[in-house]
Amino acid sequence: MDERDSEAALEMIKEFANIGAGNAATALAALMDVELVNEVTSARMLPLSDVAEWLGGEQQIVAGTYTQLCGDLKSGVLVIFPQDSAQALISHVSKEEADLSSLSRVQASALCEVGNICLCWYLVAVSRMIDTDLIPAAPCGAVDLLGAVLDIPLATLGVSVDRVIAVHTVFRGVERAFEGYFLLLPEKDTLGTIICKMGDQCR
Amino acid sequence: MNDAKLVGIAQYATAKAPEQLCCLGLGSCVGVFLYDPSTKIGGVVHALLPRAPNGSILEAKYADTGIRLLQRRTVTDGAFEHRIIAKLTGGAQMFKDLNLKMGDIGRQNVLQSRRTLGELGISIVSEDVEGERGRSAYYSLGDGSVRVRKAFGSDIVI
Repeated sequence: MDERDSEAALEMIKEFANIGAGNAATALAALMDVELVNEVTSARMLPLSDVAEWLGGEQQIVAGTYTQLCGDLKSGVLVIFPQDSAQALISHVSKEEADLSSLSRVQASALCEVGNICLCWYLVAVSRMIDTDLIPAAPCGAVDLLGAVLDIPLATLGVSVDRVIAVHTVFRGVERAFEGYFLLLPEKDTLGTIICKMGDQCR
Repeated sequence: MNDAKLVGIAQYATAKAPEQLCCLGLGSCVGVFLYDPSTKIGGVVHALLPRAPNGSILEAKYADTGIRLLQRRTVTDGAFEHRIIAKLTGGAQMFKDLNLKMGDIGRQNVLQSRRTLGELGISIVSEDVEGERGRSAYYSLGDGSVRVRKAFGSDIVI
């Protein structure tokens, strides 16, 4: 891909990121019964190996929900909430003070599901933009060091994944704000297909 | 701990006393620490996967080739080959519900590391492996100790 193509691709990614974040904000607002507005602070394509640094270092605690797409398009999908956002989210959803270090099974499951809901709504945005059904496999969640959470995507996708589509979103409520990261980790061919189809739709 | 040199995924490093090395956020990755107590020379490899495919050039990415590479380099740096001992950490199962073709990568990393160390005749003196929590490891070449910190956990020294 030459530079002009990749600039155009980035514009399209920003467009999908805004729609996806809007979807996710609506879903989260309904789930949490609060008003939320969203803003996408950055959307970019970066090498898989740079993801940890972009997210702020391997050493921080995060809540991650990870899944893979079923079907022809091969991609990993990851949603990450930083520690304080995850803590606030789960406390709000479970209506009790939650501590990330000692989540009950129900809380851990709920946190994974919040991630899954966001993940699916971003995927819907991608899906509509490329006019192709995207079906995620069952999600799984982990609350751990960022480096550790990224290990499985790196180990299972590292060979075939070159660049990652990464979106940072802030969800602002009346009382507090949450931030979250959506990462699409497509295999090389899939990334080509996605960008090509996004281009077709825009034309 | 601020002056410890960071060894990232698929990297290795050798050092001597009083230097320090660290691996942050070991999930299913393994950290294999080699140490020669007599010369206080050692090193660490931060391996992502158990076995290298044919023709791979990234030796430190895989436990089997990475450990052999690290052993050669520590010997080149002055460690006595027959005095080298090993410590092992990492190999957690991060997403235990995930249905992967390759099974539990963390466990395979640990098994492969033990096998390769066995083949090289290096004994494992201590380890803290597997489980469901990620780890960060800080390695002091001064005494060969490895301080392992789990997410939300207290430190243990192996």
